[in-house]
Amino acid sequence: MKKMVCLALAVMMAFTLAACGSSNESNKQNNAAGTGASSGETRTLKFAALETAYGKAIWEEVAAAFEKQVPNVKVDMTIEKNIEDVIGPSMKSGEFPDVIHLAVGQPKGLTETFVKDNNMTELTDVLSMTIPGEEGKVGEKIIPGFVDTTITNPYNDGKTYLMPMFYSPTGLFYNAGLFEQKGWDVPATWDEMWTLGDQAKAEGIALFAYPTTGYFDSFFYALLNEVGGPEFFTKAMNYTEGIWQSGEAGQAFDIISKLAAYTEKTVPANGNKDNFTKNQQLILDNKALFMPNGTWVVNEMGNAPRAEGFQWGFTALPAVTDGGDRYSYTFFEQIWVPAKAENADLAKQFIAYLYSDEAAQIFAKSGAVQPISGMSDKLDGDNKLFYSIYDQGAKAAMGAFVSTAPVEGVNISDTVFGSIDSLVTGAKTRQDWVEAITKASDALRSAQ
Amino acid sequence: MPSTSGRSRFIFFCLAPAVVLFVVFLFIPSIDVFRMSLYKWGGYTDTKTFVGLNNFSKLFQSEKFYQVFQNSILLIVVVTIITFALALLFAALLSRGKLKGTNGYRVVFYIPNILSVVVISAIFSAIYDPSNGLLNSILQLFRVIDEPVLWLGDQKIVIYSLAGAMIWQAVGYYMVMYMASMANIPESLYESANLEGASPAHQFFTITIPLIWTNIRTTLTFFIISTINMSFLFVTAMTSGGPDGATEVFLSYMYKEAYTNSSYGYGMAIGVVVFLFSFALAGILNAVTKRDHLEY
Repeated sequence: MKKMVCLALAVMMAFTLAACGSSNESNKQNNAAGTGASSGETRTLKFAALETAYGKAIWEEVAAAFEKQVPNVKVDMTIEKNIEDVIGPSMKSGEFPDVIHLAVGQPKGLTETFVKDNNMTELTDVLSMTIPGEEGKVGEKIIPGFVDTTITNPYNDGKTYLMPMFYSPTGLFYNAGLFEQKGWDVPATWDEMWTLGDQAKAEGIALFAYPTTGYFDSFFYALLNEVGGPEFFTKAMNYTEGIWQSGEAGQAFDIISKLAAYTEKTVPANGNKDNFTKNQQLILDNKALFMPNGTWVVNEMGNAPRAEGFQWGFTALPAVTDGGDRYSYTFFEQIWVPAKAENADLAKQFIAYLYSDEAAQIFAKSGAVQPISGMSDKLDGDNKLFYSIYDQGAKAAMGAFVSTAPVEGVNISDTVFGSIDSLVTGAKTRQDWVEAITKASDALRSAQ
Repeated sequence: MPSTSGRSRFIFFCLAPAVVLFVVFLFIPSIDVFRMSLYKWGGYTDTKTFVGLNNFSKLFQSEKFYQVFQNSILLIVVVTIITFALALLFAALLSRGKLKGTNGYRVVFYIPNILSVVVISAIFSAIYDPSNGLLNSILQLFRVIDEPVLWLGDQKIVIYSLAGAMIWQAVGYYMVMYMASMANIPESLYESANLEGASPAHQFFTITIPLIWTNIRTTLTFFIISTINMSFLFVTAMTSGGPDGATEVFLSYMYKEAYTNSSYGYGMAIGVVVFLFSFALAGILNAVTKRDHLEY
């Protein structure tokens, strides 16, 4: 009898397990039925985005406006801070969102993976699409240059795969109040920069600090444009042979090596995700003069204590020669469509809508500025100062190292930017650095 | 006879659910890691190419991987030895030494184990801070150093700074484990040792250690596995692998390659090496520390 009871219990346990399995199955079937039914009349656009400082609400508002503009469409939104983990599992089993708003340069590299795997839908035709609810075409509205970058056209074939979204100029941030107090001029050339560096050193202030070495990307890209112009920059981004041994590259390496010597000594110790704000604090405390950063730093350090008379100042990189070009790198986010998206046509329509005045207005309310002509005139406050940098003669640099097929163990960002910590601490020499860059660049070129 | 077959069937049905769960949730995923290490794969989509052992051959030619290997082994050795020594010492002091407030100490030592790694890393960031951190302030107060030491910024020191945080976190846990087994040792053994005139140190090495040896052996395996896992958490929270990769360990490097560098297959190859390495290390330690079981 006892045995029978035990057996019965065991059987019940097995059934429970089986039941677990089947309930999942039936869930799946329900889901499948749901989408099946909805594709009949109302179409569902699956939209996934990284939740950033701009918040979720702007997307919800824009989606609602889109649903109103285009009938019979429902936007199904997934907006999470860990969006890669949320959409990752279903993508592995072949179910993709229709539109993804996630920029390159994130730690999990989801967007890069799609670029490297050739897994994106071409979006060149979006540029010639008419914006829903308006007369004009998308391409006419976007500020020239934004869709000619190595980020938006990753395969160097003139075709656009990623559309530019919110942009923000980057450059050097400083305490304008301190400069006024001391009667210093903001340097316009690197030579003036070094002179200022010595002056500041005499007063116990370091010339330079950086939050983490990752912030050198925009700095380095702008610098490459200054030393060799856009053409040279594009060559460098494409890992052209011998480019790192050229005179122009040498000049850029010299400037960064010299800057490393002028960097506040404690910076590498705090140059990580946990403590980078301590490095930013150096500027607020008048312990360092300049740091490379983006416009978001103002909010990021909004509640931080600051020296008396502190006022944010923002400038493009100093020119290499007197009267030479000065550049400010433009950081922008991207929106794109996976190659296996079910509703690619609808996704394109949605992207086109994002460039409408209506949508731009909603985004701008939260400080998210799109690369739409005339948009920067509508800004106010600090943002007006930041976005006007290009009106004051600075040229815009855009693009990044071209994505190649993944090369195991080779990461160009780590090699180029990560090593700057070692230049500051003295663990690596300029020569070690350039050799490592050349090696990584060679490996990536052959993977192109 | 029929009763035997009934019994077997009964055992089979009893074990089946556990075995099924084990296979589905543990065995298959582990095998999957081995399988995926043979592919070139980005990790997010279903585009993969079979590349055989290519990932492994690249791995063994990578300087970076050897640096990571070195860092991990250094942490395993340093953290294990020091934690182990301190935990044993404190456990012996608290259970044998006639201290007041033993329970209070036990709680205090155990607290770091309850804290999350993020909290610990925040505490240690404050301790290690170059300009106004606790450690530099104390050292400067006693004029041990003139210039502030960059505990998390100097490539030669940073790995030991990490080890310090890891030891602080682990000591309490192992101490409590050793105290538990020390409590089982009959008091009469110590009494007779006292009568014979054995010093406390002598008693510790000849009575305490041999009698808790089984426990020490078990915890050694824990040490290795937990150091590999915990070092990833500490690195992620405290240094992000920096400065310039100086604190990159097995799992942080694996994560960087698998995700940031879009080389999931290569990441899994690192996973396989780590798996085999920790398995082998645990096996070796187990064999080396084998002693005759002592009864009391």
